[in-house]
Amino acid sequence: MTVLPWIVAVWLLGIGLYGVVSSRNYVHLIGCMTVIQSSTYVLLLGLGYRWGAGPPIFYDHPPGTPAVDPVVQALVLTDIVVGATISALLLALALQVHKRDGTLDPQEIEPLKGQKR
Amino acid sequence: MSGRARMILLALAALTILPGFWRVAQSLPAFGTAASPYGEAINRLGPELRHVANMVSAVNFDFRGFDTLGEEYMLLCAVAGTVLLLRGARGEDRAGHAGRVAGRPHEGRSDAIVLMSRIFGIFTLIFGAYVALHATATPGGGFQGGVIVATGLLMLYLGEGYERWRKLIRPPVLDVCEGGGALLMVAGGLLPVTMGRPFLENVLPFGTIKDMLSGGLMLVENAGVALAVAGGFTVLMVEFLEETRALLSEVEQGQEP
Repeated sequence: MTVLPWIVAVWLLGIGLYGVVSSRNYVHLIGCMTVIQSSTYVLLLGLGYRWGAGPPIFYDHPPGTPAVDPVVQALVLTDIVVGATISALLLALALQVHKRDGTLDPQEIEPLKGQKR
Repeated sequence: MSGRARMILLALAALTILPGFWRVAQSLPAFGTAASPYGEAINRLGPELRHVANMVSAVNFDFRGFDTLGEEYMLLCAVAGTVLLLRGARGEDRAGHAGRVAGRPHEGRSDAIVLMSRIFGIFTLIFGAYVALHATATPGGGFQGGVIVATGLLMLYLGEGYERWRKLIRPPVLDVCEGGGALLMVAGGLLPVTMGRPFLENVLPFGTIKDMLSGGLMLVENAGVALAVAGGFTVLMVEFLEETRALLSEVEQGQEP
């Protein structure tokens, strides 16, 4: 089953997209977007993995022993942290939408119309 | 568009794109056999060239340092955007504690929770500092350490409650941490420029491998990231926890126990 990790990545992407399309709540929608994002983590980490290789940290084992790809790990690591702050930004937007319209349902949000008060 | 139509559209799109996905999955290298020349080269040459043990940190703060600088500023922008969105009418009409759902019994905080959060909060802070400081030797780095430090501060909130927590957490200090960390990264990158070398070139002495102080310029970049991430995440917590405070009007009306 050497294609299994890629199928997992596609599945996460698909289930996240399904959630975004069918969502009736912005908080749920933002959660679905983080699921889509995690599909890229599975893909990247899967691409860097090697059977029998250790971590790319040469503290306990000497340099030269087989190790997995450090580049994809660094990419995923920074993206998880930055992704968390982006989620916070989106949640702040959702909070403001709720304050303005009293709803979090994407289908009930009215378009902006000039000055409200 | 109705929910049904949307689902049909999604199914059609999925059907269209699935053969492409399948094709790509089939032509990707089989799982567990991948060997990208770039990663291989870094694993082979990194410890020797930079005297560091942690290749992930070496990629983040040295070989792809410019990339991390971009990520860092994305983080800064996201935090700044969140603060802008949530800053309105700060605190004037709010009480010092969190809002409570009417009708739900309010038990108060048990001593066990307070004690546990104090103990584990402080240990988490120390652990975060340890992870951040040992970026180039053992698994860890500024990104992870910064998030762990922020988690420790959140744990203190669990024990202390909003009012006392805010006496400990000063947003101006956090802002300085966050902006100063980002600035430190750029300053570290510009240091080689002042010596007539390319931006972010590692010009500081590398030290010895497996040592906490190994890696030269990586340590500066790492400290910048750690400060910015810890500051940024704590700013986010302050902003969101502000939103949970009870409205003074509700407190005065006696809707709360």
